[in-house]
Amino acid sequence: MARQMREIIWRTIRAISTSVLFTRLAKGVMTVFVVMTLTFFIIRLMPSNPIEIYINQLVSQYGMSFQEAKNMAASLFSIDMDAPLYVQYFSYLGNLFRGDLGKSFLSQGTPVSSMIAQFLPWTLFSVGVSLLISFSLGIFLGMTMAYRRGGILDNSLSTFASFVSSIPNYLVGILFLVFLGVRWKIVPIMAMRGSTSPGIQPGFTITFVKDVFFHATMPILTYVTTAIGGWMLTMKNSTVSALGEDYVTVAKARGLRERTITVSYVGRNAILPLFTSLAISIGFIIGGSPLIESIFVYKGIGWVLWSSISTRDYPVMQGVFLVITISVVMANILADLLYSKLDPRIKAGQG
Amino acid sequence: MQATATKTAPILSTRDLWLEYSNRRGTVKAVRGITIDLYRGESLALIGESGSGKTTLGLSLIRLLPGSGRVRSGSILYEPDGRTQDILSMSEEAMRRFRWQEIAMVFQSALNAFNPVLRIWDQIYDTVKAHDGMSKQEARKRGLELLKMLQLDPERVIRSYPHELSGGMRQRVLIAVSLLLNPKILILDEPTTALDILTQRNIIDLLRKIKTELDLSMVFISHDLSLAAELADRVATMYAGSVVEIGPVNDMFYRPRHPYTVGLIKAVPTVTGDYRELFSIPGSPPDLVDLPSGCKFHERCDRATKRCHEEEPELVPVGDGHYVRCFSAT
Ligand SMILES: Nc1ncnc2c1ncn2[C@@H]1O[C@H](COP(=O)(O)OP(=O)(O)OP(=O)(O)O)[C@@H](O)[C@H]1O
Ligand code: SF4
Ligand SMILES: [Mg+2]
Repeated sequence: MARQMREIIWRTIRAISTSVLFTRLAKGVMTVFVVMTLTFFIIRLMPSNPIEIYINQLVSQYGMSFQEAKNMAASLFSIDMDAPLYVQYFSYLGNLFRGDLGKSFLSQGTPVSSMIAQFLPWTLFSVGVSLLISFSLGIFLGMTMAYRRGGILDNSLSTFASFVSSIPNYLVGILFLVFLGVRWKIVPIMAMRGSTSPGIQPGFTITFVKDVFFHATMPILTYVTTAIGGWMLTMKNSTVSALGEDYVTVAKARGLRERTITVSYVGRNAILPLFTSLAISIGFIIGGSPLIESIFVYKGIGWVLWSSISTRDYPVMQGVFLVITISVVMANILADLLYSKLDPRIKAGQG
Repeated sequence: MQATATKTAPILSTRDLWLEYSNRRGTVKAVRGITIDLYRGESLALIGESGSGKTTLGLSLIRLLPGSGRVRSGSILYEPDGRTQDILSMSEEAMRRFRWQEIAMVFQSALNAFNPVLRIWDQIYDTVKAHDGMSKQEARKRGLELLKMLQLDPERVIRSYPHELSGGMRQRVLIAVSLLLNPKILILDEPTTALDILTQRNIIDLLRKIKTELDLSMVFISHDLSLAAELADRVATMYAGSVVEIGPVNDMFYRPRHPYTVGLIKAVPTVTGDYRELFSIPGSPPDLVDLPSGCKFHERCDRATKRCHEEEPELVPVGDGHYVRCFSAT
């Protein structure tokens, strides 16, 4: 009886530990842990610390004497900056395992977790929508280019795509801000600040959804502009090579309808290589979010990171880096699973 | 075998068909004035070296010339039951329905003939859906039946993805799928080239079985005369885009008249299963962009005379249904 139980438990453990999803998740957890540790130390290696910065602010802004400012800062910051790094690290780890991300040094000691809960959704929303738009539009345009390769449309779209994909996204953001917002005043850049308009009732109402999109317009426009070129070019190339595959000729010989061939024979195969870049692209967009969000004062997690860096608000920086890492790792796993669903030749988690 | 007796009406004919491609150097004259008939129920082999235009001719029959390929002149007539259809003037939609329903083709590079992301069943059903007249259940039943006929494990294969099948299996699946809609004509373009010798043997045997069991006309393309001899009622040798000799298989084998056919036969090893050396004919095929004058074979022919350099011979009869394009043969 006991032996049977042991046998069953043992088998279950083996089945779980050899399953691809499990290895994939285990790898993800490892990645998160390593990145978390690295950021912990790198953040603390940055020149000057939050107390110094705060003291300097008090002195320069309120004309306090250095001693006054120092006393005030000491009463505000309840942390011991002089404890050895490894002690700080292990106490951080301990708290983390209890789900405690610490409190912001500034912002009246707001818990980091509630800051994340407040600001992360906006970033996930704008980044997610941007990916969806740039990916689907890029695929559509890329395929159109491939089907009309050599024509005027293809040539002009190719030029556009290589151009936009070579400019860094913060530069695109600044250009949009300067030209669309300030010079030509096409978009009401001031009204768009923040993630929602003040006083609006959250809920699934048309007004609220419209407002959310209104505030996210500029970040989304920037992400889409910089990401779409890559999708277009990759999709064009893979469509061109799919069009030359024997199975497409055979599909024509079988008398399949043009639509079936375009969608399930050419399109489905041409999309596959894009899933490898999908993971990279997600990391890229999220990595660019601090700059883009601060350019447009879009109050997402990137904006929080940007402001916490300038005040050296360690717990906030640490927490934001952690969620960004987790999001990127999760997006990677998702892209991987999706890929293996679409390509029967690949088993999830390979490569 | 009722080789020469098949004097029924042709089911498919080409009339003075010229096909060409463009490349950087100019016009590739891939098929030059071919007039050939395929009779109902017969199996016709097209043989010739690489580049002689066999695939180009085969693809033109279902209007699928690749890339820059186009018809310069001539016509292709399909006459299944008294009516005559001009394939080259059919509408796109009519042509789409025509393909596979009337003429199916098994391709030279069949290893990639199937969409890698769809199961065999999906591709069978795709084919059926594109042509009306068969329900899903009927399609499944017919698919399983044909897979079985090709000695495959039907239930397993129909559920498989292409990469789960070996090359020989994929080739047999493609042959099975080609028979799905009961086409009247089956074009087989070097169906065994990419396979090992045993698999080759097996597929030839299956094709022979299909030929006797089903009411089909076949065009069998190969550069291997010995394979052609096993399946064909008639054989046509192609050289530089034209037919240089055509006749009943026995005449072609035992009484070849064209120096090129003679060369091809000599190149076939006598012991079966022996390593097949390709062609021992000296020299190489002519440049199809800049063709030589006179008989296109004269540069490689040991019987060539002055006349051969100046004039291109016509295809003339030398026996019952046996025609040759050579001055020295008449
Ligand atoms: N897509 C194409 N574009 C340009 N030229 C082509 C194309 N396809 C074939 N050709 C040319 O047409 C000629 C005939 O080719 P084809 O493929 O019909 O020969 P084949 O007899 O089938 O040869 P093989 O035994 O190698 O299959 C060759 O000279 C080839 O280079
Ligand atoms: S016509 Fe002349 S060159 Fe041509 S095959 Fe006959 S003998 Fe040779
Ligand atoms: Mg060929």
